[in-house]
Amino acid sequence: MMQFYSLRTRIKVVLESVSVCLFFSGAVFAADIPSGKTGFESQIKPFFKNYCIECHGPEKSKGKITLHSLDGDLARGQDLERWELILDVLEHEDMPPEGEENRPSAENRAATIKWINSSLRDYVKKASETPMAVTTRRLTNFEYQNTMRDLLGLELELSKNLLVDPDRPYHFHNTSEFMMIGPDQLVRYKEAARKAMASAIVDNGEPELHQTIAKWKHGQPGKKGLTQAEIGVYQGPGVGRKTVKLKSWPKTGEFRIRVKASGNFPSGFQEVALRLVMGTDLRHDSGSGIYQEVGTIHLTNTSDKPEEFEFRGRIENIPIQPASNRRNTISPPSITITAQNIFDNGELNDHRKSGFDDSWSVKAPRVILESLEFEAPVIDDWPPEHHRRILFESPLRDSKTDEYVYKVIKRFMTRAFRRPVDREEVDHYFQIYKIYNAEFDTLEQAMRETLAMMLISPQFLYHTVIDQAANAKSYELASRLSYFLWGSMPDEELFNLAASGELNDPAIIEVQTRRLLADNRAVSFVENFSTQWLSISKMKTVNINHDLFPRFLYTVHVGERRGQEQLFRPTIRDYMHEETVGFIGELISKNLSIMNIVDSDFAYLNEPLAVHYGVNGVRGLKFRSVPIKPEYHLGGLLTQGSVLVGNSTGSAPHPIYRAVWLREAVLGDEVKPPPAEVPALSDSAGDSAEDATSIKNLLELHRNKESCYDCHVRLDPWGIPFERYSAIGKYQPLVPKDKVRVRGFNHKQDKTFADYQAYLRSIYTEKVNASSRVPHGPAVDGMMNLKKYLLMERKDEIAENVVRRLMTYAIGRELTYRDRFEIKKLLKLAKDDGYKMQNIIVLVCQSPIFTGAKS
Amino acid sequence: MKQKSWHINRREFIRGGGAALALPFLQGMSWGKTRVGQELPKRLVVSYIAYGVYEPKTKDGSHHDWNWWPCKDSGPLIFNKSAAPFVPLKDSVSYLRGLEHAGGVGMGGHSSGDVFATAANMSGFEKTNNISVDQVAAKVNGHKTRYASLVLGTEGGSGSYGSAKTLSHYGPGRPIPSMHRPQDIFNRLFTPYAGKEIDLVRADLKREASVLDLMMDESRRLQSRLGKEDQQKMEEYLDSVRALEKRVERTSQWTHEPLPNVDTKGLNLEVSHKDPEEYTRCMYDLLYLAFQTDSTRFATLMLESEHSSGSEMWNYANYVLGYKGATHDIAHKRPAESGKWDNWRAKQHAYFLNRLRNTPEGDSNMLDQTIVVWGSAHPHASHSTKNYPIQVAGGNALGFKHGNLHSFEDDKKVPLANLFVSMLNAVDAPVEKFADSTGEMTEIV
Repeated sequence: MMQFYSLRTRIKVVLESVSVCLFFSGAVFAADIPSGKTGFESQIKPFFKNYCIECHGPEKSKGKITLHSLDGDLARGQDLERWELILDVLEHEDMPPEGEENRPSAENRAATIKWINSSLRDYVKKASETPMAVTTRRLTNFEYQNTMRDLLGLELELSKNLLVDPDRPYHFHNTSEFMMIGPDQLVRYKEAARKAMASAIVDNGEPELHQTIAKWKHGQPGKKGLTQAEIGVYQGPGVGRKTVKLKSWPKTGEFRIRVKASGNFPSGFQEVALRLVMGTDLRHDSGSGIYQEVGTIHLTNTSDKPEEFEFRGRIENIPIQPASNRRNTISPPSITITAQNIFDNGELNDHRKSGFDDSWSVKAPRVILESLEFEAPVIDDWPPEHHRRILFESPLRDSKTDEYVYKVIKRFMTRAFRRPVDREEVDHYFQIYKIYNAEFDTLEQAMRETLAMMLISPQFLYHTVIDQAANAKSYELASRLSYFLWGSMPDEELFNLAASGELNDPAIIEVQTRRLLADNRAVSFVENFSTQWLSISKMKTVNINHDLFPRFLYTVHVGERRGQEQLFRPTIRDYMHEETVGFIGELISKNLSIMNIVDSDFAYLNEPLAVHYGVNGVRGLKFRSVPIKPEYHLGGLLTQGSVLVGNSTGSAPHPIYRAVWLREAVLGDEVKPPPAEVPALSDSAGDSAEDATSIKNLLELHRNKESCYDCHVRLDPWGIPFERYSAIGKYQPLVPKDKVRVRGFNHKQDKTFADYQAYLRSIYTEKVNASSRVPHGPAVDGMMNLKKYLLMERKDEIAENVVRRLMTYAIGRELTYRDRFEIKKLLKLAKDDGYKMQNIIVLVCQSPIFTGAKS
Repeated sequence: MKQKSWHINRREFIRGGGAALALPFLQGMSWGKTRVGQELPKRLVVSYIAYGVYEPKTKDGSHHDWNWWPCKDSGPLIFNKSAAPFVPLKDSVSYLRGLEHAGGVGMGGHSSGDVFATAANMSGFEKTNNISVDQVAAKVNGHKTRYASLVLGTEGGSGSYGSAKTLSHYGPGRPIPSMHRPQDIFNRLFTPYAGKEIDLVRADLKREASVLDLMMDESRRLQSRLGKEDQQKMEEYLDSVRALEKRVERTSQWTHEPLPNVDTKGLNLEVSHKDPEEYTRCMYDLLYLAFQTDSTRFATLMLESEHSSGSEMWNYANYVLGYKGATHDIAHKRPAESGKWDNWRAKQHAYFLNRLRNTPEGDSNMLDQTIVVWGSAHPHASHSTKNYPIQVAGGNALGFKHGNLHSFEDDKKVPLANLFVSMLNAVDAPVEKFADSTGEMTEIV
């Protein structure tokens, strides 16, 4: 149970901050108020009475905050959230509100701040002598999936059928307060564990080998200019791929696909990407296509030097098309490998007449696929490593089976529970084994069931917490580090450091933090953290208006899914996601300042995305840092597609969504959803929703309604400077004229790219007004000025937000007033260090909040 | 299993004109523990539609043809175009206007569906939601049928806080994932042993029970070694293991009862979201079959959710009406088509109510033994979480009185949870209070 729910962020919703912070500026001498009750009665209470109680007292309780009932005895540990709130609004001069004439003097304010600060600090100091209760939480699905991978040594998709984690915009999925286990969750854990064990432990004897081989001739080009072995670029369904139907496959096991491939490069091209996906035959554009990506390779070799490439995967992860009964013929279950040429220079769908310009098939690079061999299971090494990891080779197995089983259980358990286990605990699972052993014929079968039960034990499913054993804390810390930075269990090195007790040394923590971040497993941390922090996944479900933006997505041209997004190819939206995750990754791996999230001198792009943004000279699908110029209008997170598209309507920019994003993700405020009783945007604006093309204008009408004004006057100004970025995340300083219905893109009229551009020119005629006065701040016109303002005046808030986000994610609970002073300390260190992101992560890991040590 | 001769095929029976006859409750068509002479099953359903409904006003003050509410004034029901599918059910339906769950008001326009069947104060002290009305009933009377309850949805799973994909919850933080694939639901209900020999099934269950017992021991031992806060968290885990133990016990008991024979004719279990009408009817059919075979008596059905963007249901209205744009936009823009959308929803629901009513049971019919709530946690004005559209049907034999629209505006306002109290009392799961209730819904009981 979480009792300390942070009110801190909540109030900022209601109160806007001004940038000048008197307390820190030290410009004012603060007279000392006597500490404790005396000071409260003589000075603090009158201060409240003079400046606050009128709105926050028995008569009115604006923002549901009242001050009259506070008793001034912070040492009792009551009302501390409220005190922290008061401290925040006084420090930021949020209150009394702008325009209020009865204001405290600077000295008076500073003295009050000082009194609250020191009283709060006294309490926190006293309170932290008893350690903050550990908040047990279960593994998130992300952590579960990764832990199983590292525990078992094989990558199985196991989290799909688990109940979803608590998912709230701008919050992390691991908040312990919300992470609960119910009977159904447990049933599903059990299903997943049994599935995993069925794969991890193989049956005795050599398995049957399954093979499918396909060959294509790279000879004379055919009618379309391609040889039999060539795969041209995507030009609509059925083009740009080759399929191989598997003859047979095993139920479990690793598979290997060997391809002999090269590229055919027309002049100007050096690279082409070949992607393999498995599942349904993707020839049909039914929306029910189920498939799994196997891998992508970037080919640079030519047909005179074909090379062999190998893909690996697990057959269990491949969705199988079930048997179907169509027109009285029953087709058996099937799996198809589809090889795709996913070359994409951002121009493929420039021609829209009937999909694509045919000439692209010879103008663009081609994949030459001469052969493809599927083989499963991989038996180079049999039984496989993941099997031997559990049922290790030993003469004991036959001679003293019980002793062997005991050892097997103990070995597995130590890793599954992520700490040493005692005899009693092992005995327990030995008993379970005995039950299964009585029923099953083989050791393998009984062991699968036994270990599956271990994997639904609370010791596996919950984050490592144990009793007061001497090195218990070290193991906890080892897990906390690995779950923070890998989303998975500790590795050998961390376990060893926990065992020796060295992990408690801050210098070792630093070394380990940097080691973990440099490891490949940290990639998924960056993805998981960034996606949730920045709330960018909604971008993928925004309904893009294909009439307005016909080139943005690859759409299906025929059949029942006509007009909808082509499902089986990586699209620009996938790349936008990678852009943002990769960008944050760059900040961490290169140890750059976190202020880069506001503005940066580089972007993280591949070719299709660069073309989309209007950046020249980026080739290929691989992402890289690209230096940017002012005319690109890029830099930082604010101009990235993931943010702009996700916070648009799919047709138009949405200044409210974008304002909310900026305040939540960058400034760290919590913006409340619209209250129940306010009318929706279009209702309050009259019937004009259908005519007006800009939401900005609608907002103006909406703001003028009294019930909307209070909130929107604090919100809208943050979103309006984004207005020159379109719904698909492009810089677009011209828009259609207001209240004019744009005619919409017409496939018949606007056939070619030139036609399309002419069409755009015909509708985009008006300059965008992107100017607004930010609350308590100056007038800001457009993105560049907004960024400038944020970097001039809001740095402290931005840094505090990033630090708090990292810490919250790392410990899996909301921060409270008790963490306040540690966070401030950490912020000071980070500031002096130039806000370098990797260093900040090290500071987080060393902080007593994270390690659980006393400060 | 071959169909035994005494297993009368209900469909043929109805086709033969039997519906007109008032027959005693036919044991041959039921199964499980209900026997002749015992009380008839008392059932409860909550069904949810998302995004609110169309509630336009006309300029002359008359009632709009396409308003979701059948008529303007309280009193005897007069059906407009939107509610026309319920005309034949006039004596079996009531409309309640002006009600809501206070606990959902602060949740924001996209989230209050979470508490439709729970009335929990999720924006206040019940952040992880709480037990739903069907589960309260299932706790008391669930043992009487093979399944204590049936939790259906069209998207499946539990969803997350603020974006639930299920209406049912065991209690705080314990949503019950809804089932949404017709074939899975059918298998779960009618072929639970997947063709396994019954003796093997029992042996498996016995073994599972002993293993769970040991797991319980281990977890208790762990719990005793933890700090107070963590002990509480562990209690939740222990509860879940206990629930599994009970489930195993119950499943084994029911292995001694024969499984029902179900006529699958006319059931297309492969139907997908792409055919919303077929799909929705199939879900209703499965619910009907579950009741008809007395496999369960308490059910929820989340027909839509406000957070469908990840699934095909997102474009529900596209398929049904040919409306361009997302379903969510319909709720915001409320084009005239949305009246037809409501009418379409009404047709599907009326189909279900009619099936129940056309099936004799005891002296009357299944609908009279089943209380069905149908509605949304939003009215017309998007983002509002007050004044839910609520229709209550059936349960005539359980004391429900129908045929009127009741208005609870202004000082007449009572908590919607009062309806839940009356429902629970009617299905023999007596309660005095449910969530924020203040009494019974005396207007219709």
